[in-house]
Amino acid sequence: MEKTLDARGLKCPMPIAKAKKELEALGAEDVLKVLATDKGSVLDMQGWAKANKRINLIKQETETDESGREIYVHYLARLS
Amino acid sequence: MADSTEITPRELFERLVTRGEAPLILDVRNEDEFAAWKIEGPRPLAYLNVPYFGFIDEPEQSTERVAQAGDTWIGVCAKGDSSAFVTEILREQGMRAVNLLGGMAAWGNLHVPVRVDDGARGFELWQINRYGKGCLSYVILAGRQAIVVDASRHLEVYETFLRERGTTLVQVLDTHIHADHLSGGADLARRAGAPFFVAAGDGVGLRRDVRPLADGTELTLGGADGGAAVTVRVIASPGHTPGSTCYLVDGRWLLSGDTIFVSGIGRPDLGGQVEAWGGALFHTLHRSLLSALPDEVVVLPAHFASPAELDRGGVVERRLGDIRVASPELGLPTEAAFVEAMRRAVKSPPDVYQKIIAANLSPADVPGEQASEWELGKNQCAASLPAGPRG
Repeated sequence: MEKTLDARGLKCPMPIAKAKKELEALGAEDVLKVLATDKGSVLDMQGWAKANKRINLIKQETETDESGREIYVHYLARLS
Repeated sequence: MADSTEITPRELFERLVTRGEAPLILDVRNEDEFAAWKIEGPRPLAYLNVPYFGFIDEPEQSTERVAQAGDTWIGVCAKGDSSAFVTEILREQGMRAVNLLGGMAAWGNLHVPVRVDDGARGFELWQINRYGKGCLSYVILAGRQAIVVDASRHLEVYETFLRERGTTLVQVLDTHIHADHLSGGADLARRAGAPFFVAAGDGVGLRRDVRPLADGTELTLGGADGGAAVTVRVIASPGHTPGSTCYLVDGRWLLSGDTIFVSGIGRPDLGGQVEAWGGALFHTLHRSLLSALPDEVVVLPAHFASPAELDRGGVVERRLGDIRVASPELGLPTEAAFVEAMRRAVKSPPDVYQKIIAANLSPADVPGEQASEWELGKNQCAASLPAGPRG
């Protein structure tokens, strides 16, 4: 299953802090989709996945919402 | 500051530059961001880079790593939020840790005015130091009139400075079309109703509202009712850019833009024509500056590469004669040798420089958040030969 974490409008470190909590509650086959508005989250998620061997950063996308705001979308899974 | 949990960029500047301290810096950004741009002081600083997500994943181990390296820290991140989170953890563990408010974004926007002249001439010359980025702009004051040179986009810095001194802005000058930061010159001039001058060079599509000034023009500031006056001479100095211009203040201070720095010279490759622009720079340096001006002239550039270039008074300045002796770039005998050395000395500029150049040529404003992102990092406007003596 895929779960969405809405971290839009949150400043760091909250997107990663919340993503970690959510991932701990998910199963190994589940995917966590994180929505963030902080552009710094793009490099930070990459750095986090590199430093934490239990985090799998599957892909990252950039979308634009109705108001023209850039949304950074991160797909994460837990490696056991 | 003993009981405080925070430090402002201005307070950190005072500690580093005015008091000559070298505090331990804990940078919690990711490794690439830390490698690209960090807090620097006139004295070398000791850093620890532990990305903030390490404090989420393994708070005990990360805290222990910090504790082993020291017990008094200044925490830094991109915008000041993650470092607030980390420094709070460190304080809970009994360490002394303060958070840099606003992070590197605020650090890069700090502007500190420093008086250049000794007050003996009746006019004032100020260097406005945008320390985190290594960008320098200038304010000249005489008889309640002001000229601003190379204003950044932070107009409130200049407008507040002039208002506090009861002066009227009569002319805004840029030394060239900047590539590393957005110019505030055109907007500052428009808001004050003052003329703006920058030269882009032949064939470049400058769409700013500019009142041209010919090479050799002398502007006079002040002088009304027998008050102090100062002249500013326009010196065309193509090379770093085709339209680069220096301004000689009172025959004594050379606002040199990116043509000549206190240690090094401006890179002539940003237009992708290192041969043509490098050749022009060679002739500017030798004919228009070194052989035309006395050695006593003091160079005040638009950038510095390292805080070590600040003198004891906190000013980035150096006698032209001293730069001549210390700079290997200026000892190259021929245009061909100079151009070849320039070709070797420069690395590819950041990709964003082309966007900034286009924005500085255009009348359209860049939104603040976009501008902040483009301007991240220290300027890379100098071309310096690696083996040269440095002072």
